[in-house]
This record gives sequence, structure tokens and C-alpha cells, in this order.
Amino acid sequence: MKDKHKMMAAILWTMGLLCGLLPWPSAGQTGRGADVAIVVNQDTPVSELSLSEVRKVLLGERQYWSSKLPIVLLIRAPVARERDVVLKVIYQMSETQYNQFWVAKIFRAEAAAAPKIVYSNDMQFELIAAIPGAIAFVDARNVRPGMKVVRVDGHLPGERAYPLR
Amino acid sequence: MHRRLLITMALLLAAGPAWGQSPPPTDQAEQVKALLERVVQLEKRVAELEAKQTAAPAGTVAISNVSTAQKTEPQEAHAMGHMDQASVAQAETHYPSLQFRGFADVDFSATDQKGAPSASGFNLGQLDLHLASPLSKKISYFGEMTFNAHPNGYTVEVERSIIRYDYNDYFKLSFGRYHTPIGYWNTAFHHGAWLQTTIDRPEMVKVGGTFIPVHFVGFLAEGNIPSGGAGLSYNFGVGNGRGDIISRPGDAGDNNNNRAWVANVYSRPAKLYGLQLGASVYRDKISFGGKDYREWISSAHVVWTRGAPEFLAEFANVNHRQVLTNLTSNSQAFYVQTGYRLPWFENTLKPYYRLEYIHTPKSEAVFGNLDLVESIVGLRYDISSYAAFKSEYRHASRLPLTPAVNGLFLQTAFTF
Repeated sequence: MKDKHKMMAAILWTMGLLCGLLPWPSAGQTGRGADVAIVVNQDTPVSELSLSEVRKVLLGERQYWSSKLPIVLLIRAPVARERDVVLKVIYQMSETQYNQFWVAKIFRAEAAAAPKIVYSNDMQFELIAAIPGAIAFVDARNVRPGMKVVRVDGHLPGERAYPLR
Repeated sequence: MHRRLLITMALLLAAGPAWGQSPPPTDQAEQVKALLERVVQLEKRVAELEAKQTAAPAGTVAISNVSTAQKTEPQEAHAMGHMDQASVAQAETHYPSLQFRGFADVDFSATDQKGAPSASGFNLGQLDLHLASPLSKKISYFGEMTFNAHPNGYTVEVERSIIRYDYNDYFKLSFGRYHTPIGYWNTAFHHGAWLQTTIDRPEMVKVGGTFIPVHFVGFLAEGNIPSGGAGLSYNFGVGNGRGDIISRPGDAGDNNNNRAWVANVYSRPAKLYGLQLGASVYRDKISFGGKDYREWISSAHVVWTRGAPEFLAEFANVNHRQVLTNLTSNSQAFYVQTGYRLPWFENTLKPYYRLEYIHTPKSEAVFGNLDLVESIVGLRYDISSYAAFKSEYRHASRLPLTPAVNGLFLQTAFTF
């Protein structure tokens, strides 16, 4: 019996060692490109979020801006750079992991629907204007009048310490 | 020319919902990229057309064919605007908005168990159908049904049926049949084998098992607790508790007119993304074999769910006290599971190991003997975003005098 326990301990120890030695997936910023601005509807009562608050919103752990205003997540379709930045910096997931995450989230009854997929900047702008509580991720060069840009960790796009790029 | 662009745009937008339901696989990424670039070009073109439309009144162009073009372009830009509005209207949520998803698995096992009626063979597993439907901005319905293979046919089971009202992030109230929020696994993976790394649930939370009450019928309040970076959340529920068959909840009523309650608190610290720590308590009165027992379940868990590495550990103690004699027993169970999603082969491989342990004392009158020590070594291979192959070797020792059983288990699990 002692041998069995030793064997189990050895397996656990080996797995732990592997976890420590093997490289972790990159969680940092993506390659070169413009900053990705977080934009919300003008009437949304938020102007600044910390990166961890942004993560809570995107993970569906925070689903309301206020009791009367649900958060509506808008995410660009695959291959758009804005989506890559969101997946790498905020979710820290691959495309597959992201899909699996939302299947699981809905299956657990923690969310009623996955983020809405948008296929173009125009569609994104229309939805931001049309849906109170909508939040989207836009190339900072494409921000248009009528959108509110949210500060992240106190920084706006273009500032050196801005985290979404 | 512009008409062609419009038709192309319309086709792209029509293809949109299909992408939304099923994101393209990696080998189509280039094609998608090309299409998106085309969308960007079209957007630029529309912007140009809109700019021309704005500039036209101030223009001095008087050539007849150009003026025809000016008449056409604003019309097309206007049509494009209508198309955007149509796609926006389509993207807005409509109520009710039923979403349907299924999970299924096919299994194979081969063991060296002596005298077992079927020590090896194929098994259809569970066919699991999940429904989610927002009924309004704040009300949602969730349902889960399974079809289970048995020697004489199939049984259909309503696993979950929940209607939930969200007041805000701090208070959400629901009614129905749940997976009891004790520990982690029971509410993290439900019946979808594809969601979990391993082939089966740990024995302590096994569907149809008795160690913890897997299901619960009643109401549940849940939400976040204002706690800054600690990321605290809670569940609190009141329900019928265990039924006459203690592995089942009182679906059709409480068998002893005594409600069970459960409380669960967990933390997802903001600075340690992927970590969850939690503790639960469950209180019930069980009527079993003509006797009444008070049941206290206390549980704790720590999990790290990022996949590289993955670490899940859960412990539960079940205290039973016979009401008449005060005879008390404490049974313990835990599992520790660790896995690592390898960085090669597009992160599709995840080796894992799990150790399970259950101890029930001789004085335990409700469960009988559930003793178990089991080791599982396995490998999960994600063949696509929505399907996986799993293979496991298991070594399990149950009763003290029963020989250990070794087995090979294979599974393909998927969602559709």
C-alpha cells in the first residue's frame, strides 16, 4: 500500500514539475498595431475600468452596468485584429478555448447567450448606437464621434501604458 | 460595378449568422481573412460614396454621365445603409430566443474485473440536450435532458429545468431542478462529457451516486458579493433534499416535509485569473429505511482552470446522525486532478492524472460501503473545437477484500 502511495505521489510530483517547466502560453500583448479602444454607448454609466474589471465583463462575471442596464458584449468575427487582441490580452485563450468557454458558460446557466459577433466596423458602430449597454472593441484609429471611449487602468488608447494593443 | 459590390456585400452579410453559430475551422482562416479584407474594402468604398454624397451639392460637375453616376451612387449608399440596419436588427436580441445544443459520447471499456457481467465492450454514454432561452432582458430559461442507455432500453431524465430572474449582478433568483451547488465539479461540467477533461466524473459526484445529492429541486439565490479584488460570489438554495431513493431529489414532492438548504461561497481573485476557491455546506433530513437521519455536508475546493496547467481538487465530509439514537458517522471523499495542455500540435493534447479517495466508516448506515482508492492516467486529444478523443488507464481498489481492478477506457465526446 505504501508503494502505491509513493507511486501516486511520484505521478503528482511529475505532473507538478511539468506544469512548472513547460512554457506557459503568452498572456502579453499582441504584435504591432494600433491600440484597441473599448467603446460603449454614450449613455452607458461607465468611463473607466481596470483591466481585471474588463476581464470580468468579458468573462460574463459582471453582466450589468446597473440594475436596469444589462451589458451586451460585441466581439468581432474571427481573424479581425481587435478579436485577436481581446483573446490574447483579456481572455488569454486561443480561438478554440474561447469557443469552448462560451459553450460551457451557457451550459452552466451562467449566461443566456454568447457575445454577439459583428462582421464589420460599421455594424459595430450601428450596434453600439442602437443597444444601450453595448460594449465593443475598436481599432483606436476607427473610433467615431458619438462613441464613449473607456479608460483602462486610467489610460486612453495611444498612451504608453495602455494595455490593449 | 456597384451593384456587384452590393450583391457581394449582401452575400457576406447573409453568411454572417452561419459564422456566428459555427466559427470557421483553422484551415478556413485564410479564406475568412480574405473575405474580411473584402469587407474592409467595401466599407472604405461606402465611406467614399457617402463622402461624395455629402460633397455633391457643392460640386460644379456638369457633365451628364457623371451626374448620372452621382444619382446612382447615393442610392446605392442608401441601400447599403438599409443593409446595415437590417444586420443590426438581426443582431439585436429577440425574445424568446431559444438556443439548442447537444452533447454526446461513445465509450469503450476493457477491464480485468472477475465475474462482472460485462467487463468490456462499447457503451453509448449519454445523449444530452441543453436549452437556453432568454425570455426578456432579465428572465432566462435553462433546461437539460438526457437519454440514457440501459439493458432494456432508454430512459429520459430531466436533469435541469430552471427559470431565472436577474435583478442585478448581486441577486439572481431561480426556481426549478438544479445540480446542487456543492463543491466545484457538480455545477461546472453537468452532463456534458466533452466539457470535462476526463472520461467520467469523480465517484464522489457521480451521476446516480449517493455521496453528495447531485440534484436539487427548489429555489436558488445567487450573485456576486461586493468584495473588490477578492471576486466573491455566493449561492444559497432551499429545496426538497434527498428523496426516498437517496440518489434522487424529491422531484414530485418532499418525502419527509423537511426542506434541505445549501450555501456555497467561492472566490475568483482578480489578480490570479483562473483560480477559484470555495466552500459549501448542505443540510438535510433524510428518511431512509424507516429511520430519520440528519445530514451535514461540508465541502471545499480549489481549482485552477487555465488548462496549462489545469488543477482541480475537491474535498467533502458527509456527517450522518440518526435522529433516534444519535449514532453519528463521518464519511470523507476527495479527488485531485491535474492536467497540462501541451504547447505542441496546436494545443490539442492534454495528459492528465486523477487520484480519488472515498472512505465510509462501518457505522455509516445510509451509504453502506463506498470505499474507493482510484488512480487514473489519461490523455485527451481535441480533434476539433467541438470533439475530443480520450483514453484512460484506471487502477481502482474498492472493498478491502476485493481485488483491484485495472482497465482501459476510451471515449469520444462531442458537442453539436
